[in-house]
Amino acid sequence: MPSVSTVASREFSDIVRSKRFIILVAVFSIVFMVGIASIYLTVLSTARGLGIAMPTGFIGRAASVVASSISYFAPIIGIALGCDAISGEREKGTLRTVLAQPIYRDTFITGKFLAAFLAVSIAVSIASLVNVGGSMVILGVTPTGEDMVRLALFVAFSILYAVSYYGIAILLSTVARRTTQSVIVSVTLWAIFTFAIPIIASLVAYMYRPITSIEIMGRPGRNATNIRPSPEEMQRIMEQIRARAAITEAINSITPNHHFTKIAQYILGIPGSIMQSRPDLSIYQGLASAWPHTLVLVLVACITLIASYMIFVRQEVR
Amino acid sequence: MSEYVIETYGLTKIYRSGGGTVVAVDRLDFKVEKSSIFGLLGPNGAGKTTLLMMLTGLILPTSGSGKVLGYDIVRESREVRRMVGFLPEGFGLYEHLTAEQNLEYIAALNDIPKPERRKRIEDILAIVGLYEVKDRRVSGFSRGMKQRLGIAQALLKDPELLIMDEPTAGLDPEGSKTFKDLVSKLNSEGRTIVLSTHLLFEVGPLCSSIAIMNRGRIVVQGRVRDLVSKLMSEEGYKIYVEVRGDSGRFASALMGMDGVRGVRMGLDGLYIDSTKDIRVDIVKIASELSIEVSSIRVEEPSLEDLFMRYYRGGGVDA
Ligand SMILES: Nc1ncnc2c1ncn2[C@@H]1O[C@H](COP(=O)(O)OP(=O)(O)OP(=O)(O)O)[C@@H](O)[C@H]1O
Ligand SMILES: [Mg+2]
Repeated sequence: MPSVSTVASREFSDIVRSKRFIILVAVFSIVFMVGIASIYLTVLSTARGLGIAMPTGFIGRAASVVASSISYFAPIIGIALGCDAISGEREKGTLRTVLAQPIYRDTFITGKFLAAFLAVSIAVSIASLVNVGGSMVILGVTPTGEDMVRLALFVAFSILYAVSYYGIAILLSTVARRTTQSVIVSVTLWAIFTFAIPIIASLVAYMYRPITSIEIMGRPGRNATNIRPSPEEMQRIMEQIRARAAITEAINSITPNHHFTKIAQYILGIPGSIMQSRPDLSIYQGLASAWPHTLVLVLVACITLIASYMIFVRQEVR
Repeated sequence: MSEYVIETYGLTKIYRSGGGTVVAVDRLDFKVEKSSIFGLLGPNGAGKTTLLMMLTGLILPTSGSGKVLGYDIVRESREVRRMVGFLPEGFGLYEHLTAEQNLEYIAALNDIPKPERRKRIEDILAIVGLYEVKDRRVSGFSRGMKQRLGIAQALLKDPELLIMDEPTAGLDPEGSKTFKDLVSKLNSEGRTIVLSTHLLFEVGPLCSSIAIMNRGRIVVQGRVRDLVSKLMSEEGYKIYVEVRGDSGRFASALMGMDGVRGVRMGLDGLYIDSTKDIRVDIVKIASELSIEVSSIRVEEPSLEDLFMRYYRGGGVDA
């Protein structure tokens, strides 16, 4: 369909020339550098000073930084490109002109989506390259061939993550009367997913499964030097922690963020939490474990896009 | 194809907003003759934009139907949009693009083959007098320039029918004049022009037919000439006779005539208010009384008179 590529190329050139896109990529690149440098200054030098052995290799040292920086960058770039995709043209009145041409309305959204997909891919790739390059220079680690494969996969999943947020944003942009509304709602949603839900999850877990280990340890009749819990008690504590983690995960899993974090952990082989002593996963095993989470992100992207289509084709152009 | 380029049958649009409903277009039956310049007149909120956007497939009717160039406005909307040039209210241009880029985008959306595109765009830019500024961004254009670029955009399809919503809004007298010349020229090429306005005097004299719309209904429509004579027969004829001689005697003779409602003395003539066109009888009486008539004419009601009459008639004050 020629019209899809017409809309897509117009949109793509608008995006990559927009101040918003250039500034986001530039600002995040700087933030990444600062982040990596601070890791170097705090963690690595402290560890060296205390004589603690730090993990070696690229993945061991840099992966968690790369993963966490991209986990912030991807949603923001997705929202930045999606939040005015429809409402912006409606506000400027250009939507009337475009839709008075002999194109199908879904063509318009498809074109916008393809352009954003391309732009997001470029942005995430640049951000990842900056991260990896920065880590190599500042942390002094070089990725091996396998690391490179893992990183390439990680970039692909990060693009998917950004696209799922783009889907949420373009849906809001389709529904919203004004762009300011869709910006406010999508940013609020992002903040809720990123900050509020994890806190709520921990609180809920704490309420349902309070950890009683303190009482156990402080039970009268034991002398102060012998505070080590018995193996049975240890077992119980572990059980409680596991139950709490299950609740936290269940609640967190309503956010795309959670699924992306899981994917990043599996693909890059980052240990999930201190309690999780998981053997290193091969790339293949990582992909297999990441699969259900990938599916969730794909579903988020598809459902939001399909909903945008359905609303947009019926919508009044005002 | 029929002699009408637009026909509607009971066309209705009801907006639902915040619990209430607004009947923007109310069971409209109207027709636009081929090769005419058709003025859709009406105050703010009359439903002009809603009607024009239903005709161009941007808004779905609530009920009723319509045909544009023989195509059903709902089922064959894409055909309509392929054939009809539409200038939306506010012109709907991409401000950050140049004049030429705007036209290129619209040309591409209309699948105008690449080799043809360049020439077509340059020709049209010359027609609307924007060739010299084709590489300038629209954001720096005056209202008049934007309007002409909007018309250029609509002309890319080489349309038989050109629909313009409030094309003269905010134009200075010179811009208005340029616009009228352009519209006359396009009409002389055989294109039908439909334009809406809430300011009659700007475009009224240009139109061969008009419809006056108020509160979603067409209050009156027809050829401007027919409407004028209809109004004259309803409101009466204002006849002015310039005479030499005893105008007092003449006046009292006229007062006795059938149909005369009043006679007023002017500086060197008489103003006669009559229910019929009695010019022949006036001349006859004058010769009987040996009064020399140097001129006699009927003062036609202006479009403004027409407008005020029907506007008021069906208007908010009624
Ligand atoms: N999306 C909408 N929701 C609810 N009511 C609407 C909507 N769009 C228009 N209306 C109402 O429909 C009526 C007709 O509006 P429309 O814009 O068609 O009038 P108009 O004749 O073009 O007016 P103007 O001269 O101001 O452009 C108005 O009362 C308006 O308030
Ligand atoms: Mg209007």
